Amino acid sequence: MAKESSVLIYGTNLGGYRAAYALCKKGHKVILLNRGSYVDDIRNQTLSQLPLDFCWMCGHFPQRLFKALGCVQDFYNAELLEVSGQAGDFTVKFKTKPQVVNNFICTECDECIEVCPEVVGDRKAIYVHPEIGWENIYLIDWENCTKCGKCEEVCPTDALKLERSEEVQEVKVAAIILALEYNDPTIEDLKNFSFGKSPSIVKNSEIARNSLLTNFVKDSVKLPSGKIPQNFAVVVTPHFNNHGTEYESYNLSVSAAYRGVRLKEILPESDVTIFLKDYRGFGKRHYRWYKKALDAGVHIEKVDDIKASPKNKEEVNLQYEKDGKSHEKTVEYTILINGQKSPNLMKDMSEICGVKADENGFCNIKPFSCSETDVDGIFAVGEFTGPKGNPEAIWEGCATLTESLKYLGETNFKPPAPPSLRNVDVEEKKIGVFICSCFGTFNDKMDLNDLKETVEAIPDVSHAEIIKGCCTPPSIKETAELIKKSGVNRVVLAVCTPIQKLLKFRKTVMMAGLNPLLSEFLRLREDVINVHKDKVKMLEKSLTLIKAAVAKTKKSVQNPTLKESFTPHALVIGAGLSGLTCASEIADNGFQVTLIEKNENLGGNEKYFDKQQKEYLDKLISKVKDNQNIKVYQKAELKRMSGYAGNFYGAILSEKKEIPIDVGVIVLATGAKEHKPKEFLYGEDQRVITQTELQNNLNGKKIGNQVVMIQCVGSKNDEHPYCSRVCCNQALKNALSLKETGSEVTILYRDMTNYGKENYYQKALDSGVKFIRFEDNKYPEVKKNADALEVIKSDGEKIKVDLVVLSTGIEPDEENNRNLSNLLGYPMDKDGFFDSDVNVYPYEESIKRLFKPYEWATNCIYPVGLAHSPRAFEESILTARDIAGRALILLGKKMLPAPNAMYIAEVKDALCMGCGICVDVCAYSARAIDIEKKIAVVHPFLCDSCGSCVSVCPNDASYLRDFMSNQTISTLDALLA
Amino acid sequence: MNDEYTPRIVGFLCNWCSYTGADLAGVSRLKVPPSLRIIRVMCSGRIDPLFVLKAFLKGIDGVMMMGCHPGECHYQKGNYNARRRFILLQKILEAFDLEPERLGIWWVSASEATKYAKVTTEFAKEIEKIGPSPVANEIFL
Repeated sequence: MAKESSVLIYGTNLGGYRAAYALCKKGHKVILLNRGSYVDDIRNQTLSQLPLDFCWMCGHFPQRLFKALGCVQDFYNAELLEVSGQAGDFTVKFKTKPQVVNNFICTECDECIEVCPEVVGDRKAIYVHPEIGWENIYLIDWENCTKCGKCEEVCPTDALKLERSEEVQEVKVAAIILALEYNDPTIEDLKNFSFGKSPSIVKNSEIARNSLLTNFVKDSVKLPSGKIPQNFAVVVTPHFNNHGTEYESYNLSVSAAYRGVRLKEILPESDVTIFLKDYRGFGKRHYRWYKKALDAGVHIEKVDDIKASPKNKEEVNLQYEKDGKSHEKTVEYTILINGQKSPNLMKDMSEICGVKADENGFCNIKPFSCSETDVDGIFAVGEFTGPKGNPEAIWEGCATLTESLKYLGETNFKPPAPPSLRNVDVEEKKIGVFICSCFGTFNDKMDLNDLKETVEAIPDVSHAEIIKGCCTPPSIKETAELIKKSGVNRVVLAVCTPIQKLLKFRKTVMMAGLNPLLSEFLRLREDVINVHKDKVKMLEKSLTLIKAAVAKTKKSVQNPTLKESFTPHALVIGAGLSGLTCASEIADNGFQVTLIEKNENLGGNEKYFDKQQKEYLDKLISKVKDNQNIKVYQKAELKRMSGYAGNFYGAILSEKKEIPIDVGVIVLATGAKEHKPKEFLYGEDQRVITQTELQNNLNGKKIGNQVVMIQCVGSKNDEHPYCSRVCCNQALKNALSLKETGSEVTILYRDMTNYGKENYYQKALDSGVKFIRFEDNKYPEVKKNADALEVIKSDGEKIKVDLVVLSTGIEPDEENNRNLSNLLGYPMDKDGFFDSDVNVYPYEESIKRLFKPYEWATNCIYPVGLAHSPRAFEESILTARDIAGRALILLGKKMLPAPNAMYIAEVKDALCMGCGICVDVCAYSARAIDIEKKIAVVHPFLCDSCGSCVSVCPNDASYLRDFMSNQTISTLDALLA
Repeated sequence: MNDEYTPRIVGFLCNWCSYTGADLAGVSRLKVPPSLRIIRVMCSGRIDPLFVLKAFLKGIDGVMMMGCHPGECHYQKGNYNARRRFILLQKILEAFDLEPERLGIWWVSASEATKYAKVTTEFAKEIEKIGPSPVANEIFL
């Protein structure tokens, strides 16, 4: 049976977007059903969920990439109606209604707003979305719109059509990905916090959204009366709501800490208190934010319950319970950090495509899988399957690619070949200036003909012309033809916003057969038309800008785009769970994998797994051993490695023999180990054991009458300032098992970091496990009194026990990691794990890096599982499948361009004296001194085009393509002439 | 000297944060001073001190350097280099008897269109207050 190749994605959560991007890159067509009426309509919720107040722009890039890739077909206002068929051959029926303003061809000229006669407050009936900054989304207020049709008439590109009709479509696809969004808690869900009853009680997401354009400033928390509050409370609501009302995604505690720190930054005198049950910051670097908040002077109150009610117009009364006592506090401003509710479309989805819901109302996922639902060929990602943070959603997106590939047929999408570029070196320099009239809308504002005539008089300009536009497909074609016809070989485009529409402008130039390096775009709309009112001044300034651009392009040089073959071979270092998963997924898709393991046995931390997990791992090991595509070296290590993304070459050392290898991708799956405590009489008394030892001894028989568990042993301290993530859940599970055998269990804890859909914490409370909190630095003591074992709490109370169980954390194999880090040039974080992002973002991964085509700080080297940060079993599989997906995309490519093929730093050999200053300044190790020639050389595949090396070069031997010193100086001269 | 004095200001904007922020300011139709002319560089670390000095020698009234926020540089540490250069350049300006306030550095991220509009407007006002650069009327050989 011939398999279909396309994939349908329903919903627009972050995981869905990531999956769409990955599938496109792999070469499969994607049909994206957006339930909203514009790209960010519903996803906006997810974006604002994180209180990252700064630069979110890069998070919006994927959509532009989709458009550029041309392989995503998106439908708006869509609704899934019917699914029939089976995995590999589904027939899907859906309803859709095109956008009123098609923002693919909208030029954002604002003409529609100008002509609209209906004024509603400070806006018109057609208005720009106030929260989305990156591009202007035009919305229509249907209540006040009279459908007079004036906007439709004036729209220069016919992007606006007031009457659009609904249609039903049918498509054939191989797989379906459900990427539906979560539901925000309602006012009813947040009634304990009086949400909606006072302007002083707001959701954190609202603040984040309001400060998107301004960054987080004092005005972001201004009260309606204009007063800036000085007394804040930040409340993490899911901690105090019943389980089931709302669920906690893992970034909420860190969100609270982040908000606290930011409040202190803008209002240093203010009083900020964070109310939560436990600080559940268990992601990478999350615990550092706890410390950071305390250092900034934020109070963190771990309370049992809290209620908020408005006291008067601007004050809020908080009643909370701590250590069995009631307290009261009045604040001026309360920020609610809310959780996620289960998606209400779950029921419809069960009916339409047969996926099953779990007991909490999220979509059920098969065990040991990342996104496979109960129906073959139907996947679910992101918040549809449980409360999720952004990194997890993104990982799932790519993991879905790995899991869905088996159902997909041959790739059915090939990006169109780039137009062939003409060699202009032999030609005489001819500069053409093309002035965009934005489909005629600029004509009313300034005299373009006048400008054209003046420009023609500039000595260096051989051709000037007014064009319609170069941002909609027909106008791009038209302009490209005009450029070709005029015979110029250097182009200056006077347009609107060169960054936002960069890809379109570059395409125009490339379609005309010219290298984009030979073009310059200047901001006619933003720098001239929108700024000046006087027509003479407009002309003057646009002329100066055009002269500057002409001066720059006159000196620009074309360079070929560098390409290099990609070695379709992967190296996986470490054969633990993540390494094995990664190797097997890559090999299953037909690529060669070399798997090296330091120890004799495969399986890594196998002894810490439970029975089912062990079975899964054993199966995986035999699968890997039988796979023809995987070459396993036991007792082997990496000896040398050099090269760059796609072409690493080096050697491994196995049984004292050096084996050379060439690989394209390197996966770091070196794992981590259990912390072995020195305190609490561990190793001295047999009755003091670790959670894992307990887990292995559990056999249904009673082990002891009185069992005390001590949490956070070797975690969250100065030595290991992070939460080890797995210990609390493991302790709770073990406590439940012990309870079944009739033992009395007491858990001494700092923060109960129970997470996920399963609420073991509540179960343990219900079954009678005792929980006692101790302060961060007041650990209990374990003493031996004659033969009896005693646990002495910080308040002096003694508990006689039969067994002490220590929840020991995970620690990285720092020495091993450091060796590899030095060998590969891959950065490590402060905790000894491998880093994934060199920027200091408060969250694990910044979206910016995750969507980068090559991904992560050092291209094509990926840390997975425990090598990256502490992870539970399923999470290790998730990261491994995510990385396998990323690797599969790249391994399938035969040739790859240099990451920044356009602007690369280069060296003029004759001028370089080999001083090496540029080598020190390069943040990418792209520069080195050639030993024979004694001059600096740049590796084009490592260079990221910042130009730091150029500005430090004492001889002017270094230059950056298109940003050469003489170009910038000519620009300056022209600007200031 | 014209009776009506409008200062001339050049802004060196990094491609990833500030120039994108300026783009956003344009799309959001925010008011920016007409006297500002923008030169795009890939990274604020690419702003060669030579460019700045050359601009002052040409008689410019003010120069703005803009980059990503510290720690958020697209190129990891380019903006730190820019910051060091900025301090040195201010000293050089003093040596030339030019007001060091004529040169400024700001961190503007891609989303901070309002900040971009605010700092450019304020700087333009400041330069207007300081007055035209004395270099404009001198001849350097």
